[in-house]
Amino acid sequence: MKLQKIVENLELKPLTKTEDKEIEGVFISDMLSDVMSSAKAGDLWVTVQTHKNIVSASNLVDIGAIIIVHGKSVPDETIEIANRFHVSIYSTSLSTFQLAGKLVALGLNP
Amino acid sequence: MDKGKCSHRWEMENVLYGYIITEKCFKCDKVSNYFTLEHTPPLEEYRDEEHFWNVMKSDQSFKFNLKCTECETVVDYEELLGLMMCTGCDKDCEVDVEFKKLEAERIWVYVAFGFLPIEEKVQLSDEKIKILEDYFNQRRRSPNSSIKIVSHTKVKEISTCYAEVIKDVNMVSLTAEEDIT
Repeated sequence: MKLQKIVENLELKPLTKTEDKEIEGVFISDMLSDVMSSAKAGDLWVTVQTHKNIVSASNLVDIGAIIIVHGKSVPDETIEIANRFHVSIYSTSLSTFQLAGKLVALGLNP
Repeated sequence: MDKGKCSHRWEMENVLYGYIITEKCFKCDKVSNYFTLEHTPPLEEYRDEEHFWNVMKSDQSFKFNLKCTECETVVDYEELLGLMMCTGCDKDCEVDVEFKKLEAERIWVYVAFGFLPIEEKVQLSDEKIKILEDYFNQRRRSPNSSIKIVSHTKVKEISTCYAEVIKDVNMVSLTAEEDIT
């Protein structure tokens, strides 16, 4: 499924420059070590973390895009690094649980 | 399969979660760190011969092996403390030069760190670093980007390096504080 379709359907707010790409799965975790060990390339990563290190972990395993839940504000430093490394970050006011339900309803699987 | 001829497809196995404990001797200021599988990070100070170790911090982390799915070769990463993504902060640093050279091709440079003190602990070999790089590149799907992993020995000055090792430390509490205010 194209990232842009997911963004439009769930009204996700882009916080960085974005690139449309194919998304095949979803990974939910707030631990960078989980992402490094278990996330798959092209996954949407759903998290509450906003530290700049999410860009490092995301880039390492080729995450498709990051979605920050609960409408949490993201530091400028994180946005700046994400733009430089072509990592797309979106924001939603939905909770992790609410967003997971909507992603499954769209047809995305873990 | 002949291990010498295998082109290797790596997968992560034996993932164990624990803590990286960083401690400092209050007598000589030496800094040391190690990985522990204990459920709660040890905080007690202790004496080890001439050193009096005090815990400075504990970071949640994990260790793992890489196993080739074709020839079943196993490579352990006992010596790996963590990875750091270079963001280019010192034009005189060898890693920064490499990063700037490769950035346009979307080849991202990561630094593999070993445990402290560097001169006393066994450090990652170049062969293990290359295997780790192969593993993460094999996991990638984007055709137009890749990663390169280099040794921490190439960093000019670690203490002033702007980048951070990827680790789960204080991250939740940092974001929680923003919400409170």
